[in-house]
Amino acid sequence: MKKPQSNSIREAWILCLILGLIMINFPFIHIFNTPVTILGIPILIFYFLVGWPLSIAVIWFFVRYFENDPKNNSESGGDKSIP
Amino acid sequence: MIPAKTILFMSIISPKTVLLLSLAYFALLFLIAYYAEKCRKKGNCLLKNSHIYSLSLAVYCTSWTFYGSVGKAATSGLEFLPIYLGPTLIAFAWWFLLRKMLIISKQQNITSLADFLSSRYDRSTVLGAIVTLFAVFGITPYIALQLKAIAQTLKILSMPLTTPGAGLYDYTSKLPWSIDIAFFVALLLALFGMLFGARSLDSSEKHEGLVVAVAFESIVKLIAFLAVGIFVTYGLFDGFIDVFQRFAEQFPERRDMLLLGTQQTPYTKWFTLIVLSMMAVMFLPRQFHIMVTENTDEQHIKSAMWKFPAYLFLMNLFVLPIALGGLIINGGDTSQADYFVLTLPLASGHPWLALLVFIGGLSASAGMVMVSSVTIATMVLNHLIMPIILRMNILSQNLSKILINIKRLGILAVIFIGYFYFKVIGDSYALVNMGLISFAAVTQFAPAIIGGLFWKRANSKAAITAITLGFTLWFYTLLIPSFVRSGWISADILQNGPYGIGLLKPLELFGLRGFDIYTHSLFWSMLFNLAAYLAISFFSKQTSSEEVQAKKFVDVFVEQSQQPNKLKRISKAPTVMEFVELMSKFIGAKPAQTAITEYLSHQEIDSRGNLSDHEIPNLKSFTEKTLAGHVGAAPARIILENYLEARGSEMEDVFDIFGTVTISHASSREQLSVLYEAAQIVSSEQNFQKTLDSILELLAQQFKFDLCVIRFLEPESMTLIVKSLVGVSSEHFGQFERNLNMETYIGQAFLSNATTVVNDTDATDKPASAEHIKRDGITCLAHTPIVFEGEPIGILSAFSKSAKGIFTQEFIALFENLAGQIGIAWRNDQQLQKLLVGREQEKEMQIAKDIQKGLLPANLPKTENVEIAGLCVPAHQVGGDYYDFIEHNSSSCDLIIADVSGHNIGSALIMAEARTFIHARIDSVKQPTEMLQELNHFFLKDLDRSDLFVTMFYLQYNYITHQLTYGNAGHNTPLLWRKRDQKLETLDAEGLIFGIKDKIAFEQKIIDLEAGDLLLLYTDGIIEAENKEKQFFGIERLGKLLEECDDLSCQELVDRIMIQGRIFTGMRHFNDDITLVAMKILK
Repeated sequence: MKKPQSNSIREAWILCLILGLIMINFPFIHIFNTPVTILGIPILIFYFLVGWPLSIAVIWFFVRYFENDPKNNSESGGDKSIP
Repeated sequence: MIPAKTILFMSIISPKTVLLLSLAYFALLFLIAYYAEKCRKKGNCLLKNSHIYSLSLAVYCTSWTFYGSVGKAATSGLEFLPIYLGPTLIAFAWWFLLRKMLIISKQQNITSLADFLSSRYDRSTVLGAIVTLFAVFGITPYIALQLKAIAQTLKILSMPLTTPGAGLYDYTSKLPWSIDIAFFVALLLALFGMLFGARSLDSSEKHEGLVVAVAFESIVKLIAFLAVGIFVTYGLFDGFIDVFQRFAEQFPERRDMLLLGTQQTPYTKWFTLIVLSMMAVMFLPRQFHIMVTENTDEQHIKSAMWKFPAYLFLMNLFVLPIALGGLIINGGDTSQADYFVLTLPLASGHPWLALLVFIGGLSASAGMVMVSSVTIATMVLNHLIMPIILRMNILSQNLSKILINIKRLGILAVIFIGYFYFKVIGDSYALVNMGLISFAAVTQFAPAIIGGLFWKRANSKAAITAITLGFTLWFYTLLIPSFVRSGWISADILQNGPYGIGLLKPLELFGLRGFDIYTHSLFWSMLFNLAAYLAISFFSKQTSSEEVQAKKFVDVFVEQSQQPNKLKRISKAPTVMEFVELMSKFIGAKPAQTAITEYLSHQEIDSRGNLSDHEIPNLKSFTEKTLAGHVGAAPARIILENYLEARGSEMEDVFDIFGTVTISHASSREQLSVLYEAAQIVSSEQNFQKTLDSILELLAQQFKFDLCVIRFLEPESMTLIVKSLVGVSSEHFGQFERNLNMETYIGQAFLSNATTVVNDTDATDKPASAEHIKRDGITCLAHTPIVFEGEPIGILSAFSKSAKGIFTQEFIALFENLAGQIGIAWRNDQQLQKLLVGREQEKEMQIAKDIQKGLLPANLPKTENVEIAGLCVPAHQVGGDYYDFIEHNSSSCDLIIADVSGHNIGSALIMAEARTFIHARIDSVKQPTEMLQELNHFFLKDLDRSDLFVTMFYLQYNYITHQLTYGNAGHNTPLLWRKRDQKLETLDAEGLIFGIKDKIAFEQKIIDLEAGDLLLLYTDGIIEAENKEKQFFGIERLGKLLEECDDLSCQELVDRIMIQGRIFTGMRHFNDDITLVAMKILK
């Protein structure tokens, strides 16, 4: 059986999920919901064009980070929530 | 730049080309799948590649994405976007959500979404069936949508668009009701599914061909879409900015399309769509299949977490430019918006690009249809058909062939039901919106799945109710309105509610107004779903088997001990071969053999080649798991249950021998406490019988045995005799002595010197014992030998009349330990008995010693005539030496020394006899030889009987005449020190030892003594005293001592001789009795 994942990684992922949900929903997204354009592109579209790849980059970075950090690596970390 | 109005509609591609290309593409897919299967057979599994896993996940993007996104964007603006933002968000949760699902599924051999839910909730058949039914209901129309897309795009490609305004629906309506191109596409897809999705019955096995083909299709559709996107954005327009600017210039009134919170796309709808897509990407049966069932390595999740969102991003990058570009080119006409990706290249004279797009769209449709059909067919087979087959009890023949064919047939059926839908309701509102409707459908599974992963209390009743309620609400608030809009139901129900009940209007349920259809539906369905799930889980109890399953899911990361299984046993358990036969029926003989071989290689097998009693439940679990991989968890459970029931076998709780304490960690403590108590009983100083009784009482009390018996071997008769018995006695088991033979369990235990256990007396192999066992109602028994120094000396037995299978490995170890304690008690008792006997003897010897001491003259007189001193030191308690001094009157005295051979109690008795005789006859017998003769005569019979002999020297000294008269019966010749002559003499006279023959002539001698003469009488004890060099003390040394010490008193002389004797031997004790008598003539 694989050893449980470190709790802190799980918390980080949940935090990202919640943050993401907030950032693409009302009211946060309302900030960008105007007909203003940026570089000729409507600001809302621009927000998605930048924000989306950014979130993918965050996932990529996290996956890389946890892979390289032996302490947080799922293979070696112990789940603190389970005594 | 081509002005929109001047587009020429061209038909450059002939239908033939399109068909040929499509066929060629399908052929390529078959080849790729075939190649992947071949690689697998070579051991090079392509699924080990994480790219393929990530790409295959893109089966999420169907033709609905491929064509529909642009259509949606062109008509409703940003509404298309949440469908792809949701999956990106949920990817954050994959490492703990998806990974958990994955690990559970691998452990439980889970084959599908329905199987997952059914497994989690007590392997419920009902839940599996419900989930399958709902999935079929929600997904099959979705397949129709894909077939429709293929048919439509084929038409568009092969038919010129005569006028820009011609709607696409015109074409479909023109189609004759006959077999068309979509039919053949459906047939090809079905063939693919049957070949690569139903290769074997084992659904938990991977389908390399299918997955690799899907991954390939994902590449094709992405390339096609990017190609058309780049073409439109940079070919037809001047890049992103140009598209947006021209759109803003041309359609200022459609500015809202690019905003949120509008009437078209309110924030609530936006949120709803995000939630629906988050759930859909996880719980659509095809997504579950690709993500979970086909996964080979959980590490793939890591790369898929960013690769899949990246794929979605690229897929959506050009949706808006194409949509807006299409609108600009088509002058704002949205009627053919769904196919802008196809019509734009066609209209601008790029038919080959259109062909590529078509292939991309075909890939999107085909991938979805292939995976969905296989998934749904598996679910239908395992959760709808299998339970029916099993209920009908068609178990006699080999089912595996039939089952795999049913599965293949299922794939065909699913695709053709989709085709049928497409033909019948192809253009309905219901079908066109099927994408989101099916998203909303699978969202109903979400609470039960996510709750089931993290909440142990969630139970099957809750899950069944929640999903059913959710689906009812989904049907009522989403499907009914879409049926109305398709014109199948009167619109009256929407406006006035059923039977005019306004509160029940499907779109404004309970008066909830102002929301779009999806938000409204999601709210109500989720409210009922979640409320039922939480409330029922909270207020109802789980069954024990449900608890076990829940634990396996929720605590999948916690190390689970194997212990729970050990508490169960199967009565009348099937053998290993019978399990294999059972598996063979469902999965075929070869896979069954392979599976069992693999399993048994990790198991301990006893000397008879059987699994131990406690391994059988594990084997049962294994069989169930293996079957689950082929037919799903719920059917597997039913198969095993039916099978065991038919045999009359039952899973039964093993009587918890260690009480409420959990067996795993605390058992050793419990065992120790029992052993400790037993040891205390043994060491306490109660008698043996009481010790045995106490141990049995402890055993019977602690483990609730009905009868406990201790028997010990009676060595003479070679039978086992009952020594102690506690519990309800029975005629046979309690009372009778047992002969030793291998026909009985007790005999076997004794003779083989090994514990014999019968955990279930229903299965005995000794007919001799079986009869008694049956009569007394014994359900299980154990015998263990009581061993002393490696040899069995008795048997400890325990019988139960109520429980079965209580003799676990732990218990047997304890039981043997108790027998060991009894062995110790036995040894202690033996030693104690010996000690007591010894002590008793010692006491008797002491008495004998005292008596014997009393028989010797207490104080030797020092008269005016002679001085006498004597000493008798027995080697042991009593001895055979004797000396005596008897004064007749003032004129003479008799002096006797005798030695009875041996120095034990027998010698002492003879010595006493001699003394008595002498004392009795002293007055009548005058002469020493006369006395010797009479003694010889008297002793003859006694000595002959006892193998003893006696030597004796008898002298008589006359004070007046100074004459010494003596006779000798074979005794050591006394020494006489002549003071005057300073000369040592020996007093010798002929005579045999007593007890040889009746008449012995004893020579009587007479010598004269003078004052100062010293006479020493002795027994051989002193002259034969040995030193370490094995030298005797000898007569010479004795004589010399006599010579040297002639001026000492007699007592001093005797003492001196003893001291010298001790110095000579170097020991305090002598090996033989020593007697010395010294007589000095004083006057």
